[in-house]
Amino acid sequence: MCKLVCCRIDSCLNLKQLKFLIIEDEAGLRQNIADYLNGDGNICECCASLKCAITKLTDYLYDCVLLDIGLPDGEGFAVLDFLRNGLRNESVLIISAKGSLDDKIKALNIGADDYLTKPFHLAELKARVEAVYRRKTFSSNNPVIFNEISVDLHGRSVEVNGHSLTLTRKEYDMLLYFIANKGKVISKNAIAEHLWGDEMDIHDHYDFIYTHIKNLRKKLMDANCNDYIKSLYGIGYKFTA
Amino acid sequence: MKLSDHYNKASVITTISVLLTGGVIYFFAITYISRLQLDRDLTEEVNEVKEYIKGNHNLPTQVEFDEDVTTFIKTDQPVFNRRYFDTVFVNPKEKKQEEGRAVEDMVALNGQHYKVIITVSREGTEYLIQIIALITLALVIGLLVMLFLINRYVLRGLWKPFYNTLNELKAFNISEPSNFNLQNNQVDEFADLNQAVQVMSERIKHDFQHLKHLTENASHEMMTPLAVITTKLDTLIQDESLNPAHYDLINDIYVASGKLLRLNQTMLLLVKIENNLIEGNEVLRLDNLIREKLVQFQELINTKSIIVSEKLVEKEIFASRYLIDILLNNLFSNAIRHNTPNGHQYITLTPGQLIIQNTGIPNALHAETIFDRFQKGSQSEGTGLGLTIVKNICNLYNWKVRYYFDQSLHTFEIVF
Repeated sequence: MCKLVCCRIDSCLNLKQLKFLIIEDEAGLRQNIADYLNGDGNICECCASLKCAITKLTDYLYDCVLLDIGLPDGEGFAVLDFLRNGLRNESVLIISAKGSLDDKIKALNIGADDYLTKPFHLAELKARVEAVYRRKTFSSNNPVIFNEISVDLHGRSVEVNGHSLTLTRKEYDMLLYFIANKGKVISKNAIAEHLWGDEMDIHDHYDFIYTHIKNLRKKLMDANCNDYIKSLYGIGYKFTA
Repeated sequence: MKLSDHYNKASVITTISVLLTGGVIYFFAITYISRLQLDRDLTEEVNEVKEYIKGNHNLPTQVEFDEDVTTFIKTDQPVFNRRYFDTVFVNPKEKKQEEGRAVEDMVALNGQHYKVIITVSREGTEYLIQIIALITLALVIGLLVMLFLINRYVLRGLWKPFYNTLNELKAFNISEPSNFNLQNNQVDEFADLNQAVQVMSERIKHDFQHLKHLTENASHEMMTPLAVITTKLDTLIQDESLNPAHYDLINDIYVASGKLLRLNQTMLLLVKIENNLIEGNEVLRLDNLIREKLVQFQELINTKSIIVSEKLVEKEIFASRYLIDILLNNLFSNAIRHNTPNGHQYITLTPGQLIIQNTGIPNALHAETIFDRFQKGSQSEGTGLGLTIVKNICNLYNWKVRYYFDQSLHTFEIVF
């Protein structure tokens, strides 16, 4: 009974279907991003050049733009300028091979909402896109809900069936990451990179992932939550209803 | 030995030997010439005596003002060859013995043969030789002094542009954009040298820049294919028809591409540090940064049950937060990863230095090569660039970093 109610709230309050514009000249990358984001019923359109991007942005409105800086016919910064001059509301996530601090600051200064350095995991991209979109539309006031789990982003608190749960910072981050990528297999690499960043060597952290997930799962189960976290043959985990 | 010293040595030896040889030749030449002269005078004297005897038919008497001393000795020897010889001259006025030259000949008077000996003083020539020796000596000394002064003031001045160029070369840094501050020179050789150095340095710098750009571009270009690999793998693992063997393969690819990525990032970072492209230096409290870093590494430390002892004083540095974070990351992760379970890690921060020590394998590592690129232990899963980065960051801020093995502790010491 409870589960049914929760599901209904879920469908009301969770993110609506989003419309993406992916501006990326590498065909293989573009298609994979589109496929991954489409999984939730989102709509993705793709562009390989600056010219195409400007044309599409002139004609249509999007929720979120994924923008590569190094495009064959110019720098992606032009897209940012175009959006800013048009007072547009699209949230922009930069995906660039250039990871220097200067590039990041420059992009964020002229209106990008987040900056992701290539290479990245699709799970990371998805989590960032959702976070950026929520921030931009002020929907972070609403809790993120997955069945009986409700995450209050402002208070960084988690409730299961209305009972609050005490999670460590890493467990909380992991839970949000899982919910953003629900129904997808997330590799251990992707989780490690999300939790520890890329400064620390990742191979040290596989054991910790296991420990954190074990603790998180135990805390959720103790609060009478369903076991959504499935382990997959040492490659990663899947959070699925 | 400096060039001027070499030159000094050569010129002093040459001068002394030439002048000494000259002196000796002088001595013999003058002695020879004066002897010839004396002998000619003596011959004249003998002839005068013979003329006198022929004309006056008696022996001449010693005249007061004569500078020579003539003696006649009766002899029965019928024939006598005229001969010249060195002898002692007794000055009749001063009753003083001097070096002398004498001639011996035979004269006949009234059927009686006399041996005539005329002796003259050689003092005049001796005096001349002494004067000449003195002048020679004075010349030697004068020349030496002149040479010394020339070397000291003229040569040094002449070579000054060379030393300028040399100092510029010593200070040459391939990654610094500033060019040589070479002075214009009127000496053709030095002007040529400066020009050659200038051309060479520009070419080297150009090549180096080119190489750096190549590294940077290559590293950047590699990011996109890496991104494709990563996202393809991310997509691939969504396939539910995969079996565990497939997952194993995919996992290996993940690990390999992760390694490639870290390598690439590290190389980019090295290029940036070497080019001093990291901006944003600020005043940082190193002790606080170390404490924060320890909290970050707590999980790793706990897993290996490493006992960490820290002794930190307040220490401010002026550096980039980003680079110091990387520096501490590398040093700490090394100290933990290469530690033994239940081992120790000591962190000591004094106003002058930071020392990080850890237990580990009981043998010292190669202190000379440990900071070189791609030097890593056989068990290490790192990129082999971690300590190179540490070294480069320290170089950037003019800190000295070294490794030593002391009391079974692997020690890394940074001197600010």
